[in-house]
Amino acid sequence: MFVYTIKRLAVAIPTFIAVLLITFTLTVLSPFDPVAMMMSQFEGTLDTLAREEVIERIRDQYGLNDSYWVQFSRWIGRLVQGDLGISINGQRDVLRMIVKTFPISFQLGLAGAVVTTILGIPLGCIAALRQNTWLDYTIVGGTLGFRTVPVFVLAPLLLVLFVLVLDIMRVPRGWDGLFQSKVILPVFILALGPLPVVVRQTRAAVLEVFSMDYVRTAKMKGLEMWRIILRHILRNALIPVVTTLGFIAEGLIVGSIFLDSIFAIPGFGGVAEAGFRGFDYPVIMGVTMVSAIMIILTNLIVDLVYPFLDPRIKIE
Amino acid sequence: MSESSETVSNESLGEELAGESALQTRSLWKDAVGRLLRNRLSVIGLIITLFLLVAALFGPYIAPYSYTEQDLLNVAKMPSPDHWLGTDEIGRDLFSRVLWGARTATLVAIFTTFISVIIGVIIGAIAGYGGALADNITGRIIDIVMSVPGLLLAALIAVSIKEPVVTWAENIYDTTGFPLFADTTWLDLLVVFGGLAFVSWPGYARLIRGQIFSLREEQYIEAAKSVGVSELKIALRHLLPNAIGPVIVTLTFSFSSAMVLESSLSYLGIGVQPPQASWGNMIASNIGSWSYRPWLVAVPALTLAIVTLGINFLGDGLNDALNPRSKRSI
Repeated sequence: MFVYTIKRLAVAIPTFIAVLLITFTLTVLSPFDPVAMMMSQFEGTLDTLAREEVIERIRDQYGLNDSYWVQFSRWIGRLVQGDLGISINGQRDVLRMIVKTFPISFQLGLAGAVVTTILGIPLGCIAALRQNTWLDYTIVGGTLGFRTVPVFVLAPLLLVLFVLVLDIMRVPRGWDGLFQSKVILPVFILALGPLPVVVRQTRAAVLEVFSMDYVRTAKMKGLEMWRIILRHILRNALIPVVTTLGFIAEGLIVGSIFLDSIFAIPGFGGVAEAGFRGFDYPVIMGVTMVSAIMIILTNLIVDLVYPFLDPRIKIE
Repeated sequence: MSESSETVSNESLGEELAGESALQTRSLWKDAVGRLLRNRLSVIGLIITLFLLVAALFGPYIAPYSYTEQDLLNVAKMPSPDHWLGTDEIGRDLFSRVLWGARTATLVAIFTTFISVIIGVIIGAIAGYGGALADNITGRIIDIVMSVPGLLLAALIAVSIKEPVVTWAENIYDTTGFPLFADTTWLDLLVVFGGLAFVSWPGYARLIRGQIFSLREEQYIEAAKSVGVSELKIALRHLLPNAIGPVIVTLTFSFSSAMVLESSLSYLGIGVQPPQASWGNMIASNIGSWSYRPWLVAVPALTLAIVTLGINFLGDGLNDALNPRSKRSI
């Protein structure tokens, strides 16, 4: 187990470093010049001759003339200390922005993951048990449809449907904690994104388990169907579903980018969206890195938990 | 003929006798087309996809108005005989803009898919043929690219390369005076292509690598090798035709996801910039007013939803048609 953990870490850590490298390289390529930004404040007060000199001195002072690798290692050093920089629009501490909004998105995401699982596993089971019937096609086709329909399409359409056409809810806006009725629609929309993956995975797993000898034996013994499903099929079929956690995490993160502003939720995704809209470099970088960390961590946890769930996986 | 059709066995015998020539004409592709057309959902998908392509090709000629023409006396009007889908917040004809949006979406999807297939095939082939070390390295790179959400990475790239691309074009315009480089609308598209292609190629690379590895084990490849057929010939003659089915299926799915990514980038204000019409920026500019001008959001949103649904159904049908052995294993 120890060797296995080390091996998994040996995969996760270089991946993370590479993500850092990509993010940093893209910033170096980026159009944003902080010094030019600073200088624009003194427009007209400095004469043009002195200006070049001043810019050069400021660049030296902030180490912007150093080599790529020196700058990169300095940047890593700051990251380690939790310094993600300051946002261009509004001059706020990026880490603080993320830390403040993250818990809200985390709760929403957790709720979304729970709803996806609660909906996806039974749907996948039903589809598998009624394989190649209209029910199977409806479930698979229906969820397949939502595979790529993005949140910013679903959200307004469902809002129009529920609020204007059916008139069964008031406009859900804002955030007053997780256990409020206005959270229902955002969580549902979040959950729809990764749902097809869970349904497909469950369906495939159930179909596979269904043909196993022990299931046939159980059927021959005359066990009731629901007992076979609960005791034998579901238990074994759930294992591969765990591997979809990484997809779920990604779906939730990307979903929240669009969701937050539509529902006026002060979450992580809203910070990301504002960052993109304002070409706010430090914010975009911070958000990308935190998302990558979340996904890499989720995959690492899945890898580490998996051998416990499925002892057939060789640990070495 | 009338005599032989009396009994079933005679009929099938006759068919078998005539099968000599029929065998050659009923190719694998015809079979696949037959299977595709029997599936009702994929026919719907095919029709929607054809509609999209027609709209993309001929949209500007069908469109009753220009995509920028404003009618300031008729701002944000409901659908009417003059404006079939109504007008938007600054009086532009919504139907015309949806048609132009189809062109944007299709253009981006085709180019992105094309670029990422080329990159993916090259890297997949390196992984498949380059030995264990090459396989490991490319595998690592793919893992890394896939560990960042595609949308975030594409957005990050688009934001970073945008300014350099624009300055590059301006420089060319300043030195050569080509009118082509004065117009920046296609530069937006170029930036989007770059970002999207970068996040879409790993899927193809994985697919190609997997195909090379799994087909290599097949007996007919082994047989070809044992009689001394060269690697290149095996690749062209056996691997390529066998791998093309899964590639077509992946192409269809990534076509729709490229479309969605383009809309997402445009929604976030990074991709296609107004006044250019993109379904994404059309949704974005009206999302705040969904409660009192719902059709302004609903029209582009429904279009995008229907189109992606249609393409996905088509891809699903193609999957069943081209890989009959993996029936319903989506």
